[in-house]
Amino acid sequence: MLSKIKNLFISFFSSLKLTIVLLLIIAIVSILGTVIPQGVDVSGKIESDLLNTFKFLQLFDVYHSLWFILLMVLLSLNLIVCSLKKAPAAWKLYSIIPSPDRKKPFENIPLDRILRLQKDKDQVIGIVKNILLKKYKRFRKKDLDEITFLYGEKGAFSHFGIYIIHMSILIIITGAIVGSLMGFEGIMNIPEGESSNIARLVRHNKVKKFDFTIRCDAFSIEYYSNGMPKEYRSSLSFIKDDKVAYQGPLLVNHPITFQDIRFYQASYGKMPGGKAHLNVKKGDENPNQLTAMQNDSFYFKEEDAAITIKRVEKNFMNIGPAVLIAVQTSDADFTFWVIKNLSRLKSQIPGLFEKFPKFDPGSFKPYNFTLNKIEDTYYTGIQLSYDPGVSIVATGSFIIIIGIFVTFFSSHKKIWVRVEGEGEQVKLSVAGTSSKDPVALQREINNILKNIKNELGEA
Amino acid sequence: MMINTVILSWVTFVYFLSSIFYILKLVTGKQLPGIIATYISLFGIIVQTIALILRWIESYKLGIGHAPLSNLYESLIFFAWVIVLLYLIIEWRIKSRKLGAFIIPFAFIAMAFASFSPNVKSRIQPLIPALQSNWLISHVISSFLGYAAFTIAFGLALMYFLKGDERKRKNGFFSRILPSKDILDELAYQSIVMGFIFLTLGIITGSVWAYSAWGSYWSWDPKETWSLITWLIYATILHSRFVRGWRGKRMAILSMIGFASVLFTYFGVNYLPGLHSYF
Repeated sequence: MLSKIKNLFISFFSSLKLTIVLLLIIAIVSILGTVIPQGVDVSGKIESDLLNTFKFLQLFDVYHSLWFILLMVLLSLNLIVCSLKKAPAAWKLYSIIPSPDRKKPFENIPLDRILRLQKDKDQVIGIVKNILLKKYKRFRKKDLDEITFLYGEKGAFSHFGIYIIHMSILIIITGAIVGSLMGFEGIMNIPEGESSNIARLVRHNKVKKFDFTIRCDAFSIEYYSNGMPKEYRSSLSFIKDDKVAYQGPLLVNHPITFQDIRFYQASYGKMPGGKAHLNVKKGDENPNQLTAMQNDSFYFKEEDAAITIKRVEKNFMNIGPAVLIAVQTSDADFTFWVIKNLSRLKSQIPGLFEKFPKFDPGSFKPYNFTLNKIEDTYYTGIQLSYDPGVSIVATGSFIIIIGIFVTFFSSHKKIWVRVEGEGEQVKLSVAGTSSKDPVALQREINNILKNIKNELGEA
Repeated sequence: MMINTVILSWVTFVYFLSSIFYILKLVTGKQLPGIIATYISLFGIIVQTIALILRWIESYKLGIGHAPLSNLYESLIFFAWVIVLLYLIIEWRIKSRKLGAFIIPFAFIAMAFASFSPNVKSRIQPLIPALQSNWLISHVISSFLGYAAFTIAFGLALMYFLKGDERKRKNGFFSRILPSKDILDELAYQSIVMGFIFLTLGIITGSVWAYSAWGSYWSWDPKETWSLITWLIYATILHSRFVRGWRGKRMAILSMIGFASVLFTYFGVNYLPGLHSYF
């Protein structure tokens, strides 16, 4: 009973039909994944039967769905069982060296592969032996009733090519599984001048906290003269235990690796508002500089007042840059605008402050605010990934190239040479077989014949 | 228009002329049109190579120097170049000019699409940050060697179908002029093997590049996914031939399906959202 199940298992998983069906199903599922949007948030969408079915079948995340993983597992089993079942036959083809005195290869050989030589037989045998030994590691010689048989072969390893390819695919699948189980991918958006130690993970809707902090010292974009982007550059500092452990620029195609995590320049964006540069003047004193972003707050000790930058507007009501400031004291609570182009506005609208008291930058006495400029500030979008499977996948990719070359560019070539006396002459016949490349075999045999003729001085 | 694009648009006509002579050779069975076709193709590829080098130099003069492999226009030109190159090698190796009529026209179509489609911009553009990588050249070259080999396999499959049934008494027109089915089948198989090898290299170099540019060696971007789909289809073809011994008609049908997938990987993917938007 048990052996019956075992046989059934083996015959099912070693069938080529299964391979072809699996490859085609994986192809079709992959097509689905490129047509249906992947990784989108569908929670807000209107519920419908179709949507629910798609969700149930994990069609919005096909490549990580249970049944896609199941397909991979089936394919791996298929590869393993097939290889194990057929490996002994390949080993036989590799290891068994046929007898040098076989007759069959010499049947129906073309006439140009038979030489009739006026030479000493032993001399001919010696030369053939040297030529074969030079070209083939595996060499056999046998004397049988006045006939000498010589045999050489190479490329026996080519029988393993297909197993190398299959093994490398298993290695790649293993690496991918290791990566998806033990690795993670995340995104960090860090505004210029700020720091973060938390990444939002791409999958599972989780966050990850690091034992180090990344500070974005600056972000810049360089453009070509036609306006296309030339370079995105984030200057980053990796801070651990209050010390800068690494400092350097992050560019597209030039990731930074820190504590085995790779960081990539992935995107950028402008912060809402921007950075406002204000001058604050108290009475006749020298003005103080104040740099602030939206929602920044300051405490004015003498007046016991809290100042908050409520809004930073690059173009407020079409009159240019402006900042809305909120003032909170123990007995007052008011807001006013600081407008950059105030003098122009004043000349356009006489009696401006009477009509619009909120445009008076001196509303908070005894201070007077002026706005110098509003600067764009950026945040840098950093993608990060930790993938311990990468070296495994890389190994698999390297081996697959070797496997492909062994499979398609090498063949098992066997060469037989028969030397016999024929009256006064010596008759020499060359025959051969190849596991797949008859053209290369032809070339091989022609070379041997040429070498023999050269050595004998008959060219 | 820059000089290189002018030359390249003329090369389009050279390949058209060469196609005509290959067809003449096939239809008449005479040697002369074939020899003329070969020389025209040789002339075309030499001029095209010069134009590509000029374009490369031109990009350096503009201060944005890069290999001419960076947008749809340049990829189409390179695609045609590789088709002609591979074809001439095949012609030289098999000593027959009968296949040109079904292969060189693809080079002509690619060149015509590049030169005359209003949607394909022929200007030399600077490299956006994602394309500034040493992997660009090796990735594009191996991918397009793969595409071109599959295109040749498709041309051979077409011929296989037109050939019809050899055993039938009433030999049709195509049956008389086309090479034997065994030869077509064997050459198509060899082209598929070449294509498969280069596609594999293209995918590997692409994922090495993605690992340094996108944060992951594989991110199921549509182009990546479709290249995998193409790879799976050709893997299926190779298995059915290796293990089941499928030959002839079935192989021809499969290689047509494979080619449809190649076309989608090359062009269709642009209509899907993804990271590979520059080609």
